[in-house]
Amino acid sequence: MIILALDALDIHCVQKFDCKNLMQKEYGQTSLKGFSQERTVVLWASFLTGRNMEKEIPIKTQWEFKLQPEQTFLKFFPDYRVIDLPAFSYKQRNHEEERRLLKGYFEDEVTVEEYESLVWRNHEENKRDFFRELGKTSLLIGYFNLADAIGHLSFGLTEKMAVVYEELDKIAGEVRASEEFILIISDHGMKAVGRYGDHSSNGFYSLNRELGLNLPEITSFYNTIRSIAKSEY
Amino acid sequence: MNARLQELEKRSIAIIREAKAQFKNLAVLWSTGKDSTVVLWLCKKAFFGKIPFPVVHIDTGYKFPEMYRFRDEIAREWGLDLIIARNEEALKSGMSPEKGRLECCTQLKTEALKRLLKERKFDALILAIRRDEHGIRAKERYFSPRDEDFRWNYKDQPAELWDIYVKPSEDFSHMRVHPLLHWTEIDVWEYVKQENLPVNPLYFARNGKRYRSLGCMPCTVPIPSTASTIDEIIQEIKTSKIPERAGRAQDKEKAYMMQKLRSLGYM
Repeated sequence: MIILALDALDIHCVQKFDCKNLMQKEYGQTSLKGFSQERTVVLWASFLTGRNMEKEIPIKTQWEFKLQPEQTFLKFFPDYRVIDLPAFSYKQRNHEEERRLLKGYFEDEVTVEEYESLVWRNHEENKRDFFRELGKTSLLIGYFNLADAIGHLSFGLTEKMAVVYEELDKIAGEVRASEEFILIISDHGMKAVGRYGDHSSNGFYSLNRELGLNLPEITSFYNTIRSIAKSEY
Repeated sequence: MNARLQELEKRSIAIIREAKAQFKNLAVLWSTGKDSTVVLWLCKKAFFGKIPFPVVHIDTGYKFPEMYRFRDEIAREWGLDLIIARNEEALKSGMSPEKGRLECCTQLKTEALKRLLKERKFDALILAIRRDEHGIRAKERYFSPRDEDFRWNYKDQPAELWDIYVKPSEDFSHMRVHPLLHWTEIDVWEYVKQENLPVNPLYFARNGKRYRSLGCMPCTVPIPSTASTIDEIIQEIKTSKIPERAGRAQDKEKAYMMQKLRSLGYM
């Protein structure tokens, strides 16, 4: 099974930019019912464990929060590789640096270009890691935060976001040839605040098989994945 | 009189008179900027020389000295019933843009106005916003209801068909009335010229810079310009590709985003 965990991938943008590879056989919006805020770590942890983790993850220490495999659906797979997913294998150093530059931008010490160049560098690193591992394990999860990181400073700039979505669509395109079960999922969507972007509840999911899901909650994928793992491994 | 300006003026005056007829306790907001000064002038014209309701100036304490001088001169000359609203409590506690621009605006502008509305029980406020200022303002109506937290539901606004402005029957805290909504920045300047209206000297270029939009001193940035007369300003706007409120609006959005990212734990 392959999971593309795409931070802040927004259903309206996927449709607007006509991302054909991201829109697989079945796709739609996810529900974030029960979450008071669209917090990245909370949502990915909830996706992994199948339950709302909001109360268990304090904001102050959220980026260091780490789940054990036994707490997640990973335990249903004989082997797995999880690249950079928050709450599990998050690359602390890379993302700390991104957040430092993001803060610097708001303090007028860093330019958008400096920040974005780091984001793209980290993205390329994840892409290399992901494609190196493709096909080696029964479950591969690749996390890409490009839409979130670029979107926070530029979601209102359509041309820039079109490039981001095109890149993510390309990754999905390269994975698409695989016979395996493919889930593409985001933690939340995004909405424009002038040129900037704020988290929204317009999350996205996409499957290469038809399961007939209807506005699935982000926590409900736990059972779906468990069923797939049990039937295939 | 220029036929276009005559049409704009006619419509604005009709809206102001309609507001006066529909609301018991009306007031007009005046920042001392060019747009709100034009609105004051239209109010004067609508009621034959004397504005029959209070003029509210929200004083953040951080305005340019030229704005205070201009305010006091015009208030005296035009015989305005001027109310100055200040959030003294926030000012005493040291509220300033350094504490966060969004928080500062909320406390010194929004909160000051909320308190005044509560105290004076105004049921409608005339404001000088224009549709061409910002994308979100393009969605505004001439009569725009607000709830007690000043929230505006742009997806649920009264229809304004055939220039009929109706007060919604549902519960609302106060109505915002926008008689300048259909004007553009150039219309405002052409009207200022035609009516020979006084405007703040900060709008005219000095040492290669001028203010295109006036706000609080720490949060308003001048633009490079050599336009030192109204004609030159009109010419400059006609060729400019920079939005009027670019500096000010972006500051607010930037402040909002910074606060949101903080609340999400990014910073």
